[in-house]
Amino acid sequence: MAFNILLVDDSATVRAVISKALQLAEVPINELHHAANGKEALDILDGHWIDLVFADINMPVMTGVEMVEKMCQDGLLKTVPVVIVSTEGSATRIDQLKDKGVRAYIRKPFTPELIREVVHNIMGVQNGN
Amino acid sequence: METESKDIVSEVFCDVLEKLAYMFGESIPKEDFPGTGADYVQAAMTFSGPMTGKLTLAVPRAMSVEVAANVLGMEPGDELVETRSSDAIKEMLNVICGHVLTAVAGEEPVFELSAPTLEALDEANRVRMLNEEDTACFLVDDHPVLLRFSWEELSKLER
Repeated sequence: MAFNILLVDDSATVRAVISKALQLAEVPINELHHAANGKEALDILDGHWIDLVFADINMPVMTGVEMVEKMCQDGLLKTVPVVIVSTEGSATRIDQLKDKGVRAYIRKPFTPELIREVVHNIMGVQNGN
Repeated sequence: METESKDIVSEVFCDVLEKLAYMFGESIPKEDFPGTGADYVQAAMTFSGPMTGKLTLAVPRAMSVEVAANVLGMEPGDELVETRSSDAIKEMLNVICGHVLTAVAGEEPVFELSAPTLEALDEANRVRMLNEEDTACFLVDDHPVLLRFSWEELSKLER
C-alpha cells in the first residue's frame, strides 16, 4: 500500500528535506502534495484523498495549530492523521497539540529512521508490507 | 549574553549545525575572529513568552550555499542549492532558536516565534555585531560566524 502524503511548511527547503527523508525511510508514496501554509493545506485536503499530513506549527496565513483545529471541525478530515514537525521543544505545547488530535510530534532536526518509525506507528505498515 | 547562557547557546549552535548541516563549529574568542572581506548575510528572528528577545545569525554568503547543499543532500554548484540558500539559513536559525529556548528556559514554557528574516550584512554592521557583549563567535569549517542571543525575562520588562 502506498500513501498520499501532504507536506505543509512555509519553507520549501524543509518540505524537500522531509520528502528526502521519506524516500530514505522507504515509505511507500503514491502522491506527494506540498502546501506553504495551513490554508493551502486545507484546500488540498478538500480536493484530494490524503492519508497522512506532516505540518509545521509556525507558518504565515494559517498556522499548523489553526489547520488542525479546522480539520477537527470536519467529520472526514478529523480522521486524517497529522504529524507536527517543528523546532519547538515545549512539552506544554506538545501536550496541547496532542489534545487537539495531533498523532505525533517530530522535533527538528530529525532522521529518516524517526520518520519511518512514526509512519509505521501511525499507518501500521513498514516498507509497503 | 551572560557567560552561562552564552555557553549554552554555543553548545546548542554546534550541536544543531552538526545534526542539520553536517558541519562542525568551534567557539572562538572575539579577539581571534578573523577579518574578512566576504559578503555576509544576517538571519534574525524574535521570540516572546516568559522571556522575550532576538536571535541573530551572521554567516558568509558562501557558507549559506554550503548549508543548503548539505541540508538538501545536493552539490553546492546545483542551481536549486543557490536558490534555496536563503531559505536554508533561515531554517537553520529557526531550529537553533527552538533548541536554545528549551536549553535556556526548560521544556514547560511556550514561546511564540516570529518568522525568520534574512538580509545582507555590511562590514560596519558586522563589526558592530561582533562588538556586542551578547555575541558569540565561531569558526564553522573555516567560515567565521557570529551568533547573538539577546533576551530579557518578562518579569524584568514589566518593572
